[in-house]
Amino acid sequence: MSDGRNQPRTPASGFCGRTRREFFWEAGAGFTGVALTALLDRDGFFSGRAGAGVTPPGRSLDRPLAPIPAPFPAKAKRCIFLFMYGGPSQMDLFDYKPELQKRHGKTVNVEVRRGYVVPQTLLASKRRFAQHGQSGQWCSDALPCIAGQMDKLAVIKSLQMDSFAHASALIQMNSGRVLQGHPCLGAWVNYGLGTLNENLPGFVVMLDPRGGPIAGAANWMSGYMPAAYQGTVLRSTGQPILNLAPASRIDGDWQRAQVQTINALNAEHLASRPGYSELQARISAYELAFQLQSTAPEALDLSLETRATQELYGLHDSKPPHKLSLGSGPFGRQCLIARRLIERGVRFVQIYHGGGHNDENWDAHSNVDNNLQIHCPEIDKPIAGLLTDLEQRGLLDETLVIWGGEFGRQAVSQQSLGRDHNPKGFTYWMAGGGIKPGISYGETDEIGHEAAVNRRHIRDLHATILHAMGFDHRKLSFFHNGLNQRLTGVTEAEPIHEILT
Amino acid sequence: MPLQQVAFRCMVVAALCLARGPLRAGGPPFPPNQIEFFETRVRPVLAGTCQKCHGGATHKGGLRLDSRDAALKGGDSGAAVVPGSPEASPMIEAINYRGLEMPPTGKLRPREIEALVEWVKMGAPWPKENAKSASPSRADFTITEEDRRYWAFQPIGHPQPPAVRGQGWAANPIDTFILAQLDAKGVSPNPPAEPRMLIRRVFFDLIGLPPTPEEVDAFVGNPSDETYSSLIDNLLSRKEYGERWGRHWLDVTRFAQTNGYERDAEKPESWRYRDYVINAFNADKPYDRFIVEQLAGDELDEPTAESIIATGFYRLGIWDDEPDNQAAAAWDEVDEMVRTTGAAFLGLTLGCARCHNHMFDPIPQEDYYRFAAFFRNVEPYGKAASRTHLATNDAGIFTPVATAAEFEAWKSRRVELAPQIASVETKLAKLPKGAKRSERQRVIGELARLKQQQDASLEKALSVRECGPPLRETRVLIRGNVATPGKRVEPRFLAILGGKAPAAIPVSFTVQARKHSLKPMLAEYGLQPTMGLRRELAKWIADKDNPLTARVMVNRIWQEYFGRGIVRSADNFGRAGVPPTHPELLAWLARDFVDGGWRVKRMHKRILLSKAYRMSSAATNQKGLALDADNDLFWRQNLRRLDAEAIRDSMLAVSGRLNPATGGRGVFPPLSKDVLATQSRPGFGWGQSSVEEQSRRSVYIYLKRTLMVPFFETFDYTNTAESVGTRPVTTVAPQALLLLNSEFADSQARHLAQRIRREAGDVTIRQIERLFRVTLGRAPTAREAKIATELLKRKPGSDGAADPLQSLCLVVLNLNEFVYLD
Repeated sequence: MSDGRNQPRTPASGFCGRTRREFFWEAGAGFTGVALTALLDRDGFFSGRAGAGVTPPGRSLDRPLAPIPAPFPAKAKRCIFLFMYGGPSQMDLFDYKPELQKRHGKTVNVEVRRGYVVPQTLLASKRRFAQHGQSGQWCSDALPCIAGQMDKLAVIKSLQMDSFAHASALIQMNSGRVLQGHPCLGAWVNYGLGTLNENLPGFVVMLDPRGGPIAGAANWMSGYMPAAYQGTVLRSTGQPILNLAPASRIDGDWQRAQVQTINALNAEHLASRPGYSELQARISAYELAFQLQSTAPEALDLSLETRATQELYGLHDSKPPHKLSLGSGPFGRQCLIARRLIERGVRFVQIYHGGGHNDENWDAHSNVDNNLQIHCPEIDKPIAGLLTDLEQRGLLDETLVIWGGEFGRQAVSQQSLGRDHNPKGFTYWMAGGGIKPGISYGETDEIGHEAAVNRRHIRDLHATILHAMGFDHRKLSFFHNGLNQRLTGVTEAEPIHEILT
Repeated sequence: MPLQQVAFRCMVVAALCLARGPLRAGGPPFPPNQIEFFETRVRPVLAGTCQKCHGGATHKGGLRLDSRDAALKGGDSGAAVVPGSPEASPMIEAINYRGLEMPPTGKLRPREIEALVEWVKMGAPWPKENAKSASPSRADFTITEEDRRYWAFQPIGHPQPPAVRGQGWAANPIDTFILAQLDAKGVSPNPPAEPRMLIRRVFFDLIGLPPTPEEVDAFVGNPSDETYSSLIDNLLSRKEYGERWGRHWLDVTRFAQTNGYERDAEKPESWRYRDYVINAFNADKPYDRFIVEQLAGDELDEPTAESIIATGFYRLGIWDDEPDNQAAAAWDEVDEMVRTTGAAFLGLTLGCARCHNHMFDPIPQEDYYRFAAFFRNVEPYGKAASRTHLATNDAGIFTPVATAAEFEAWKSRRVELAPQIASVETKLAKLPKGAKRSERQRVIGELARLKQQQDASLEKALSVRECGPPLRETRVLIRGNVATPGKRVEPRFLAILGGKAPAAIPVSFTVQARKHSLKPMLAEYGLQPTMGLRRELAKWIADKDNPLTARVMVNRIWQEYFGRGIVRSADNFGRAGVPPTHPELLAWLARDFVDGGWRVKRMHKRILLSKAYRMSSAATNQKGLALDADNDLFWRQNLRRLDAEAIRDSMLAVSGRLNPATGGRGVFPPLSKDVLATQSRPGFGWGQSSVEEQSRRSVYIYLKRTLMVPFFETFDYTNTAESVGTRPVTTVAPQALLLLNSEFADSQARHLAQRIRREAGDVTIRQIERLFRVTLGRAPTAREAKIATELLKRKPGSDGAADPLQSLCLVVLNLNEFVYLD
């Protein structure tokens, strides 16, 4: 199928010689497979990208949501985003600052909230740092298992973003803007690449057992894009997807009979209404919904994994000493589910580690070391396990793994042992498809407070992620409000080429 | 051709975006992070301080610092900046007060000096200034003849229906316009829809609910034009009409009842705006009046409770109580008003001109700020509570809407409580600085309680309020950045539409009050005089000669009847939108709308009585399919899926559970634990409603921005973050899961089964027959009855858990025919 960019289009010639209605016959209506009515088209939805050569190239009118190749050869075909909600402390984990250790207790002037510069006391890290692996990258003893994976990671230490506050920072980290209402990264990828498995959502979100992040669903919304692109919340226990099992107590056989009756009656209806493919699409949706009831639980069934694999993710580890720590079990299960999902064709999995407020997540206002003792044991082994497992299965080369929060933390103390929010300098790391392993990029100043060398705004991080997945961030656009909207917005952005293969 | 035009424009955008990349004169572009540094750290200093004397019209010492070239060229004493070399740059010496002392008003802050040094060190990065986008100067932006000739800016005029051959088909001029294009292509219009399909269509379109079997029978028995016409009148007189059409308008005004973001707090009293809109449609309030009330209901000669509530329009948007930058957030709020007003009433994307001249439409950046200037004195939603947080600006966003008697009672209570309030206030003022926090809190609480007591019976509306004269200054913000104010502008209407200055007269609440007027109360309550600007803006928008207003509204109405507007981009009548398929028809409708007194109900009837509306939706005309698969010509009606509300409400209607109660704060359907778990505080801000309350129409469901009811979200509900004129329609498996498996579907199927048993007894075929008539408005065919019978033959579960009839009811609620309109 040609991508339609070079084809003359008139309403009469239609879409590759077919009518708009006809192409819906082929569109399918899977979990993310959307049969979009002409309404979208009317809104310029298709017009903005078909024919113009703007993105996603290859997304032609003929197959609105079929999986499509990325416009550029991409190493990463899917992505697992490990979101450390609350804002993990860079100078206690990856960003070693000997000068900060030396100057502990000294007073410095720092901007603690936008435009508010006050004298504050430097707080050294209680963690011990060492260089690891052949790359000699720094990692603290808070993350002993991840320390063993440093040769796989590209660590970016000089990121900046635009907000000192959780809600707008979370929203910006996810959608590129501090204002609510724009599609998030996962939605962009879902829109740009389509789905590889109609029986599962293309963009899955998993939440911490302690609760959702601040601003909740606004973090995985599709904004002005159709809701079909938004994240689907998947639970690792109980009913995995909303409404997956019938509310009434009927068995599978009975439900099969129901769906068959629906199909039979819909077929009668369809027969008298030729030419409307959305009706066929809706019939397909019922078939898929029925199948989903078995495919989704299967994807989540960790008993199908070997004991060794389960152990690799820390599923059987005893709980760490801190009484607030959940241990590695819950996050380990989610990481393992993430692997099973991407194996089955899910494009984008985002796991929120940390929920609720304060020490329920990485928001270490009162005592940063205490906070690390809660959360580091929860993620350390699962993440190391995930990286190892992906590598062993040959999946790491095609999977982009991203680690980071909505911002970092201050080099100075808050309530004597805690650290406040810091959007001016913080760390992310990436690994896997399209990423150079074992390198560091950028530096914060000598105390770890503000990005100083190779400082990069998170729109560059977004551009990097899109690049790794085969997109030019300038061209992945969605026509809305009279403009080709982009994840990276109107300000120029540039991928961090130094960490890309 | 529309598609190609849009496509071409997209290429232009792409090209412009590239062209705007920062370039070094004759060299490679500066890296984005350096440009970012310049924009965030350097430009604010240059624009905020240096350019006062060295930019624009003044260049003291011959020096300008408003472009890289000028800074490098320098002034009377040579170059000011030597790229890469702070030591050699006189500007750096001057700001360090070595020799020259700049700025003379006082040394820059260390951070600012640091930034300038760093900037020079980097080589003085500066984005390539696209003359159009960076400069606020009007001279750079010319409105061309071509701009003026653009269809949407043409006067509506007095279009005449064309002469057509098949005149006999036409029921009214709408049909003549449609037929003219069909004739030109040689495509014939579809025959009329079957009466039972037509009645279903008109019920859903007007009231969003299905007809009862009895109503269907009555109409099918006598489907004459007269019956049809009186049916329309009947539906228009039902209160469900306003609930249906009010909801469409609520999409346009981005209605929701919370602020979004972390706390996602309630917008108190916002429900009154929803009820106002519903009532306005039911009362057939003329659209021009409707506009004026929402934009300037407080500035009317005699404001009413209704008109005050209407101004809640300004307060419905998202609002962050913990913005990173309070100054920027204040402008975001004004921006939100500009964008919503532009999209809702004018079909323009004014927001595009916040940072630069509009890329497609003749809207210079200055016009954006002139438009924003109309809202300059509007009190902000929040006020600073601390360096990091804002608190709701209660004194600036609420207005009492009490009756005269309630107001009198308030006044006497105020007199009564005055001594107590005064004494507590004194107590608070006299608290020693070192007083215990708890003690202070106690006194503050006491004061709040007294004030609450004083205002207890005074109903309030979420409304617009102004801060009082003089008009705050509005400056063009260079690149939309609050830190870089440019030229000062005054309120003015859009240049492309004449660009006149408003003749605004400030509105005081103390004068010219008639008996029983609300004004004395408002004055007494502390309302400041307004600038009268919004009233002028409203009058200009609602003017019969404004070429956009009526066109945009009739297009919105048309869209609800045909599944698409005559202009498919209902919110964008600009060049990046989609041109009208029937421009003359649009103009004719607009003229008819205006001349008919802006009456929406009259417009409904016009359209509903046309043959075009009443056509069958069958897509079988081979010539039509071959020549016009998209139905650009309207040779048939469009098959349409019901929206979220109509699907939910019809389920309630047929199950017999629909609670017709109107108005109020809103109802809370139960949300599963899993849904609540997406919140950082599970369950926070979600209330409880009785089962009866839960069965009210969807328009009354409480709208919480970060906790959307799954039924809505799954069925393509509106995005409440901005004005939405057209909802997308998707078909995805989760919709099937919801209608098959959710508690709601299960419960409605159970009630429906009870109803069918009650009405049809235990005989299978009568149950099936009744079920089809109740839900689909028709009897089943023999084949359908056979299929349904098969399911009913299943053996019920011993515990009553699996009831075959309930299963069949669920099946029917899931049918394509139940959710699609022919």
